[in-house]
Amino acid sequence: MYLVVKNLKKSYGEGGSFMEVLKGVDFSVEKGAMCVIQGTSGSGKSTLLNCIGGLEEADSGSIYVEDVEVCGLSREKLSDYRRANLGFVFQFYNLVPNLTVKENIQVCEYLTNKPLDLHELMDVLGLTEHQDKFPSQLSGGQQQRCAIARALVKNPKLLLCDEPTGALDSATSRDILVLLEKINAKYGTTMLIVTHNNSIRNMVNQVIFLKDGQVRKNYRNDARVPAAELEDL
Amino acid sequence: MQKILRKRFLRELKENRYRYLALGFLIVMGMYIVTGLVGAAETIIEGTAKAARENRLEDGQFSVFAPLDEQEKKSLEKAGITLEEHFYLDYTLLDASILRIFSQRDKIDLVQIDMGSFPVKGGEILLERRYCEEHGIAVGDTVKIGSFDYTVTGIGTAPDYESMIRNFSDSAVDSLQFGFGFVTKEDYEELKKSGESISSEEYFYAYLLNGKVTHQQLKALLRDFFVENTDRSVCKMTRFVPAADNPRIGAAADDKLVEKAAGLAAGVIVLILFAYVISVFTVHHIEKESGVIGTLYAMGVRKKELMLHYLTLPVLLTFTAGIIGTALGYSSFGAALQMSSTYGYFSVPRISVHYKLYLLLYGLAMPPLVTVCTNYLVIRKKLDRPALFLIRGEQKNTKVHNIRLRGSFVRVFRIRQLLREKRTMVTVFGGMFISLLIVMLSLNCYILCVHVKTENVEDTKFAYMYTYKYPEADVQGGEEAYGVVMKKETLGYNFDVLLLGIHKENPYFEAAVEKGKSKVLISSAMAQKYGLRIGDVLTLYHEEDDRYYAFFIEGIVEYSAGFFAFMDIDSMREMLGQDETYYNVVFAERELAVDSGRLYSVLSEDEVEKSASVFAAQMKNMVIMLLAVSVLMFVVVMYLMMKVMIDRSAMPISLFRVFGYKQKEIRKLYLDGNFFVIAASALVGIPLSKAVMDRMYPYLVSNIACGINLTFPWEMYVGIFVSVLLLYFLVNRILMLRVSRILPSEVLKNRE
Repeated sequence: MYLVVKNLKKSYGEGGSFMEVLKGVDFSVEKGAMCVIQGTSGSGKSTLLNCIGGLEEADSGSIYVEDVEVCGLSREKLSDYRRANLGFVFQFYNLVPNLTVKENIQVCEYLTNKPLDLHELMDVLGLTEHQDKFPSQLSGGQQQRCAIARALVKNPKLLLCDEPTGALDSATSRDILVLLEKINAKYGTTMLIVTHNNSIRNMVNQVIFLKDGQVRKNYRNDARVPAAELEDL
Repeated sequence: MQKILRKRFLRELKENRYRYLALGFLIVMGMYIVTGLVGAAETIIEGTAKAARENRLEDGQFSVFAPLDEQEKKSLEKAGITLEEHFYLDYTLLDASILRIFSQRDKIDLVQIDMGSFPVKGGEILLERRYCEEHGIAVGDTVKIGSFDYTVTGIGTAPDYESMIRNFSDSAVDSLQFGFGFVTKEDYEELKKSGESISSEEYFYAYLLNGKVTHQQLKALLRDFFVENTDRSVCKMTRFVPAADNPRIGAAADDKLVEKAAGLAAGVIVLILFAYVISVFTVHHIEKESGVIGTLYAMGVRKKELMLHYLTLPVLLTFTAGIIGTALGYSSFGAALQMSSTYGYFSVPRISVHYKLYLLLYGLAMPPLVTVCTNYLVIRKKLDRPALFLIRGEQKNTKVHNIRLRGSFVRVFRIRQLLREKRTMVTVFGGMFISLLIVMLSLNCYILCVHVKTENVEDTKFAYMYTYKYPEADVQGGEEAYGVVMKKETLGYNFDVLLLGIHKENPYFEAAVEKGKSKVLISSAMAQKYGLRIGDVLTLYHEEDDRYYAFFIEGIVEYSAGFFAFMDIDSMREMLGQDETYYNVVFAERELAVDSGRLYSVLSEDEVEKSASVFAAQMKNMVIMLLAVSVLMFVVVMYLMMKVMIDRSAMPISLFRVFGYKQKEIRKLYLDGNFFVIAASALVGIPLSKAVMDRMYPYLVSNIACGINLTFPWEMYVGIFVSVLLLYFLVNRILMLRVSRILPSEVLKNRE
């Protein structure tokens, strides 16, 4: 297994405001898989993703990425871990406003010795013609594609996406999902996608349902539907 | 990564060109003034020291009632001392100025020629440079001294007269009133014979110790002459002045020492302010980009990489501004131009600018260094926040946020806005405080001039003050007094203090002196300069006797024109071993018919008035320049900081527009609250900066022999306060233009 999460617990606050968000989460994901984490608001899906990404510290439990324990790593080591293994895509694109598309992607190109081919990546993501534009000159979908390219250029083994289509319309969402599918196929990147959108689960290999901080469902999806054919996005 | 991020710099500069131009301009100006000022100071300090060495500056001088005889001179030379007669005669010229005439020198205090040549024959004279400049005299012109005409063959300076004061106790230089010249030895004798000088010949000797004896040993040797030769009772040493105690010597360098220290310190203070201003921009920038930073952290970008990025632009900006400022400071518009004030006041030779390596390093390294330190400290915390915290754009929940406020919505909103912008407000206060310090420096210079000018004239109730070398048996009109010049040191400078024995009922000083050898009243100028109060013990040094005298200060007399200690004349006569009728000073309401040969000096009311006016004239340009610099600095800092506040609030302002708020209402919420901060800052900053500057000011004028009355009339405080508010309203108006450009669509832009 590429990613193994064991009995992961996470809580916030103290006393009256104490809230246990993750109450012993267990699951694993195979290398190269596309996995969707779904759940209602407050179910703990973003917290889970952030713990896997080393952005939040779990209270207890373990996270193994390629047999390396992530929990308990120092801040510096976590930074190294993210640098070597992870790519992040968020709902908001967080692009550097006064850098062009190409330059925004290049910012992360320098984080690895073996980056993906920049031009090929821009080509795959349909950004070549926009490479010299600034974020303010792009549509939301184009900006999200740029954010994905930035996350992918360092060739991460694991791509963590937190509501990647949350701010996009249906058609643009589909475009983005098609791209993620394409990248998964082309580069073999393991993907963990947190989403509210029920349709997205149809395109991935594995679906995890979280409810009240626990895994309620965790199943393989053998009847994958290509992203281009997804409905009700 | 840095290579890519660096591409932002030019775009950032372009986007905020006015902000960076204004800041860059201030830093350039700051470094230009500092390097120019300090460069000029270094040049004058080094240049005058070099000229002094080359021109064989004296180690000291002494004066006697009657010239030394050959045997005495020989015994001094035998002790290893080089001695030269620097006798002189003072003449009043047709324009009422006084010209001091020396015969040419061969061994000590040699004259450095700026133009022309030394006089070689009768009827030729070399004149001092400043006197020539003030009187428009050129080589080849003729001057009339007494009944003799002289052709000016040369113009130059002498190292023992850098500060062109006529008497050691004079406070201000006025080259329109006083200068000196050199004639051949034969012409000097001719002049002496004519008896047309305004006072008797002064017998000054300049000496070089040549490392063989000390000043004290020489003084003891001289004293022995007068003890041994009791038949020459009149041949008494009247002054013994080592070069270090001579206010005419090294005056330009002394003046510049203060400027050098003040310039370097002021440079660092101003740079810290500007660096802090930059850090406010950077913090604003980081807050604006917190989502980007959080995302980059999530990707594995390290804090130090982003720290380096956010420090680079401020460092590049300040480094570039530092280079330009330093280059300007080193150019002919810098140090060379700032030296003109020295040339226009002190009698020093023309010196080419000395470029000091440390100053170059200061100009180039200090701006980026201060920027790195200040910005690192300020933005370190901002970048230290966790990635998620930054991505979500969360604000730290500080105690300030939890303050419960009551009142109307507008009031509560304004207070919240000010609390949120406390860092910006602190910067505005810092900028205001530093600007106010400069204002106070400028106004202290102004008020000092005003006080000197008005009070000196008001306090001088006599028309003439005659100081006798050989007093007549009876006082020929006027009020008798007994004066002895003593010394007192303050802040490294040894000034003359006149211990003046007077009668209680004298009409010229409101000094009710009491009998007693340990009681004195001091002049207000002296109280201010030395920080003395009633009840203090005043210790004065009498060079002639090499003895210290201590007195209790019984009162302070309103007299600002000199450092005087008044005591009962009979008590003083007794204390110093003089007979009951001895006097050597006469104050008079009108000019007395006194034989000039008997006199040391004559001080007239007119001279006091003229010398007081010189101060004001000299300081005028500096006062204006300092005021302009302070206003510029204050306006720019206030504008930049308030603009940052508006930029930071662009989204909520546009949201208020969406809600239907009008321009006036938005101004009320976002700008008008600043009025109270500015007003409160001014109320605190004005007295605070005045108190700080009043403490610093005596050090800045430590080499000037005058009282330091820095009291402002209340109207001046009101004027400063009103000016601050007017400048605030000006900036407020300009910023409203920026507010009016924030459109409702800004909300959408910020949410991508």
